[in-house]
Amino acid sequence: MPADLTFLMGKFEARIPTDRVYADNHLWLQPVADTPGGAVTQYRVGFTAYSVRLLQDVYFLEWSIDPNTTVYKKQEIGEIESSKAVSTLYAPADGIILEFNERLLADPSAINTDGYGQGFLFSMQTAASFMSPEEYVRHLEAGWDKTEKLIKGQYN
Amino acid sequence: MPNLTVVISQSQGQNPAKQQLEEELAAALSREPDVAVSLVPHLYDLSAEHSATQLLRQIPGDLVVLSWLYPRGARWILDRQGIGGHEGVSLLESKSVSDDEDHDDKSPAPKNGNGHGEVVIPRVVPDRKIYCLDLRDHSEAKVYLDEVRRITSEAAPTPLDVFSLLKMQPQAERLEKYLRPLDLLAEQKAASRLDDDDDAPGNGEVVRRRWYPVIDYSRCTNCMECIDFCLFGVYGLDQLGSILVEQQDNCKKGCPACSRVCPANAIVFPGHKTPAIAGADGEIGDVKIDLSKLFGAPSAVELAARERDVELVRDGRDTVGLSIGIPKRLKDKPPKPRDELDDLIDSLATLEL
Repeated sequence: MPADLTFLMGKFEARIPTDRVYADNHLWLQPVADTPGGAVTQYRVGFTAYSVRLLQDVYFLEWSIDPNTTVYKKQEIGEIESSKAVSTLYAPADGIILEFNERLLADPSAINTDGYGQGFLFSMQTAASFMSPEEYVRHLEAGWDKTEKLIKGQYN
Repeated sequence: MPNLTVVISQSQGQNPAKQQLEEELAAALSREPDVAVSLVPHLYDLSAEHSATQLLRQIPGDLVVLSWLYPRGARWILDRQGIGGHEGVSLLESKSVSDDEDHDDKSPAPKNGNGHGEVVIPRVVPDRKIYCLDLRDHSEAKVYLDEVRRITSEAAPTPLDVFSLLKMQPQAERLEKYLRPLDLLAEQKAASRLDDDDDAPGNGEVVRRRWYPVIDYSRCTNCMECIDFCLFGVYGLDQLGSILVEQQDNCKKGCPACSRVCPANAIVFPGHKTPAIAGADGEIGDVKIDLSKLFGAPSAVELAARERDVELVRDGRDTVGLSIGIPKRLKDKPPKPRDELDDLIDSLATLEL
């Protein structure tokens, strides 16, 4: 497997694995092995290292929709609270959210310890196309100023 | 003779902790020598005709308002009801005020602009001060009591206090009950024990939850974006062409869309869950960062248009999306230099404590 890419957040190196694709709202999507062929792909979806670094320790996660719900891109689907931040969570694309990673509801710490593996958030089915790892890194580079402003604006 | 009136605006719902604080305050303030105390229902829910609103309009001189609302929300609700005054500056530590806030003892001079290059509408306000304190900021009554004493010491003496003024009113009896907070509380408790679904204590005036925008005229530039955006006829113009909330009952419960499109952040929905929309001043001090934008939150304008569409569909009308009343202004400010980036990330890490 090709080496992971990295994106530098200050001194922190955010690891961007190359075995999956990325959504512009900082989620990774990894095709599930047994996806049947065709236009619609089933993915596992989780937070990128970039997201997790900004959140830091996740305390609480809640979903506002049921499994097997059809969603549109940017639809509100849940809430997250961490030691540093709160956020509403939004669907990364039009599609169907099939199921949530139930284990995280009781203990969301896997998001921090294994964000690219057992810390996945949900699985979803969608025909949308996503960014390659290289494109995601460019997306991060282009968006960093804005992110910085977003965070600083709230601290000042 | 009281030269200051303290109004306690009761909480919505039945939160025992909130009710306890209200009771403690009512009891303690009733013992203060230079203070008249009034207990009224939640300010936001009071209609213009409600007897408590009428009482509030009668109060002369400086006023302290203790409510479960951001001070800015409370102040402009009162303004909406014709209860005006200059902003009194509280020295209480508030969760909704940023650290670099200038604690000037004088009431702030009316601003001539709001950074948008437009002029704020000049208004005539009575020559007295209104201090609005947020009861969510502190849990002990003593903090508020001390602040009321401090304000009392700087309050201007009034030729007539609220009691003497009321005596000259025809409806004094209806209104006086609000000045006997302890009796009123006892009455309310008795009524809730009986648990009858009869009318609320006193005059059968029922207070229902309401939902409507209030305009912060210290920020409003009369740009008309709200009247262009709202398709439910909430906004109108007065005879001088100034914007006003004309048909507040046309407003759609839960919908804060016009507040999102207001370029001056002058539209307050005091009951909204988002502090900035509910009238919090600036950014919230010790609250966590909100990363929703990062994780794909729609922009304010997208959100406003969607909220409006939802309400249009409920009314059996067609959606309009982004086709009507959408401001053309650019929302993004120029980016800041990149070299502060390290500090930023480090500050995230050090905030851990």
